[in-house]
Amino acid sequence: MKFSKQAGALSLTAAAALVIVACGGSSSGSASTINGSGSTFAAPIYQQWGATTKTDDSLTVNYQGVGSGQGISELTSGTVDFAGSDPPMTDEELAAASKKSAPLHFPTALGAITISYNVSGVATGLKLDGATLAQIFLGKVSTWNDPAIAAQNPGVTLPSNPITVVHRSDSSGTTKGFTGYLTAVDPNWSSEVGKGKTVKWPTGTGAKGNDGVAAAVKQTPNSVGYVEQAYALQNKFTVASVKNAAGSYVEPTLASTTAAGQGTTVPADLRFTISNPSDPAAYPITSQTFVVAYTDACKAGFTEQVAKGIKTFLTYGLGAGQDALAQLNYAKLPADINSKATAQLSKLVCNGKAL
Amino acid sequence: MLERSPMARLPDQALRWILTALSFGILLLLVYFFGKLSLESVDVFQHQGILSFAFSNDWNPSQSQFGGLALLFGSVATALIALVIGVPIAVATAVFIVELCPSRLRSPLTILVELLAAVPSVVYGLWGVFFLIPRLRPFEQWAADTFSFLPWVGGPVAGPSYFIAGLILAIMIIPVVSAISREVISTVPTDHKEAALALGATRWEMIRTAILPYSRSGISGAAMLGLGRALGETIAVTLVIGNAAVIGHQIFDQGYSLAAVIANEFGEASAVPLYSSALFACGLLLFIVTLVVNGLARYIVSLGDIERRVERARRSERKSAAAPGGAA
Repeated sequence: MKFSKQAGALSLTAAAALVIVACGGSSSGSASTINGSGSTFAAPIYQQWGATTKTDDSLTVNYQGVGSGQGISELTSGTVDFAGSDPPMTDEELAAASKKSAPLHFPTALGAITISYNVSGVATGLKLDGATLAQIFLGKVSTWNDPAIAAQNPGVTLPSNPITVVHRSDSSGTTKGFTGYLTAVDPNWSSEVGKGKTVKWPTGTGAKGNDGVAAAVKQTPNSVGYVEQAYALQNKFTVASVKNAAGSYVEPTLASTTAAGQGTTVPADLRFTISNPSDPAAYPITSQTFVVAYTDACKAGFTEQVAKGIKTFLTYGLGAGQDALAQLNYAKLPADINSKATAQLSKLVCNGKAL
Repeated sequence: MLERSPMARLPDQALRWILTALSFGILLLLVYFFGKLSLESVDVFQHQGILSFAFSNDWNPSQSQFGGLALLFGSVATALIALVIGVPIAVATAVFIVELCPSRLRSPLTILVELLAAVPSVVYGLWGVFFLIPRLRPFEQWAADTFSFLPWVGGPVAGPSYFIAGLILAIMIIPVVSAISREVISTVPTDHKEAALALGATRWEMIRTAILPYSRSGISGAAMLGLGRALGETIAVTLVIGNAAVIGHQIFDQGYSLAAVIANEFGEASAVPLYSSALFACGLLLFIVTLVVNGLARYIVSLGDIERRVERARRSERKSAAAPGGAA
């Protein structure tokens, strides 16, 4: 008798719990949600845009910064609705994803990859050129007062402490942008390490995400790492002035980032990469970032609401959203690239039907 | 005896079936995991070769190179450091609780030590990153400079390292090793201890001569179990080991471990079949190493099991008594 009373009470509680969960879980009619993941470089942008679309268009955008590589994997496997990726997809990645529907690349912003360092007594603006950076990240230049660094910075007292290099441990578009720059400026780098979202780093500690590298640089004295500008500013890092292709040492600012975008050749599918730009005012380590979404989201397995949500999000981002970029310390897209991207918006369909 | 109808025996039968099914289920789960891991690893073993995977030092997934020696080294090195630091502390704690502690404090102290096991491992990792690494860095630098004549000590101290990972793992294995050691030490017969004391031994000598030798195999078994736990620990190690797929030469160098590589890289591996096969192979390697260590632990503990020892002693006595010539 006692047992059956207890059993009865237990099953009633379980039933009540199920009912509560079921009621709470149903989504409301008009508000929609889209999920994205990928680039930590651009995470602050999409989170900001999402906050605006939530109030203006009842569109909730959930974005997780997990690294460009994982973002593309998740888009290909259908876990997320759109991916954030700094480098455009490679041909192999494109072929794999095209099985569902052809992915489209929408550039959203340009950002600087800063060389952030934490050396006591050394103010911001330490001058470094590409060859020296390559030697530091190869581990060949291992102390701060090495002649290669001292020669470019007369009058700066550099300590004799060893340099601790911090790099990414996850698959990262920021890494591809940075290693792409090093490959362009140093032939040693391309033969020893190469470029890519993950590379075999000869030296240094790995941290997860741009935020991880920022935290590691902040906590480790005498360290240097490559960090997207927004994170560098948030942590009030001292950043290096890097020598660009035209020969001048440029600090990463909005103006120098925008200058880097000038004169980039953009193919028809918008899969462009900025590499060691030639503009004299350009900051040389600049990266573009994309939102990658399927042309036909419904064919790829998503609902029409999601397809519409993606289009709303991108329309805002390429329009009014560009003005929000300055506050976040990203550079706007050059006008010609923006118009090409906006024109591409009309290609987004649902099962062949326009949205 | 009351006669019961066959229907009344049904619950008994059902109980037997359910318990047997559950036990077999667990066994099947173990076999399934092993089988599944092996199946998924076949791709990378064909590409790389089993020996090359386990024993070559070249973890470069972007070039499809999967030599996991650095990972295996990292797992083993951090677990060994954890043992060296954690086991003496755990055994000392156990001896204190059983022998030296006032009886009022015994229970609270036991509970506190076991509470260490209740802290989630990710919290240990977080504490390691934000508290331990910055605070210990000056001490580590001093140790690296002063004791650089010792093997594996020296070099620059960046922060995350094998040492910090080993330290955190040591804290995590203390509850396990301490609990088992406590059990083993409390089974030391009182007459052994009193005999030592009666012969004029000091407290420490009594512990050294009567308690520790008696519980040696039990403590070794406990240490092996702690080693098994330390080998498999993932998130705490990932946060503090430095994520560098190289074999470090100093304990203050950065490294990588089998569990950490899976946690860090499973996301991007999901789209590349060979890469995810390699991560499965890492899991398989870790599984095998842990199984071997646990099996060793059980064997060593059984060596010290009292009944078996008595049985063995009796057997050898009988043998010597039955030998021709017969002992007195």
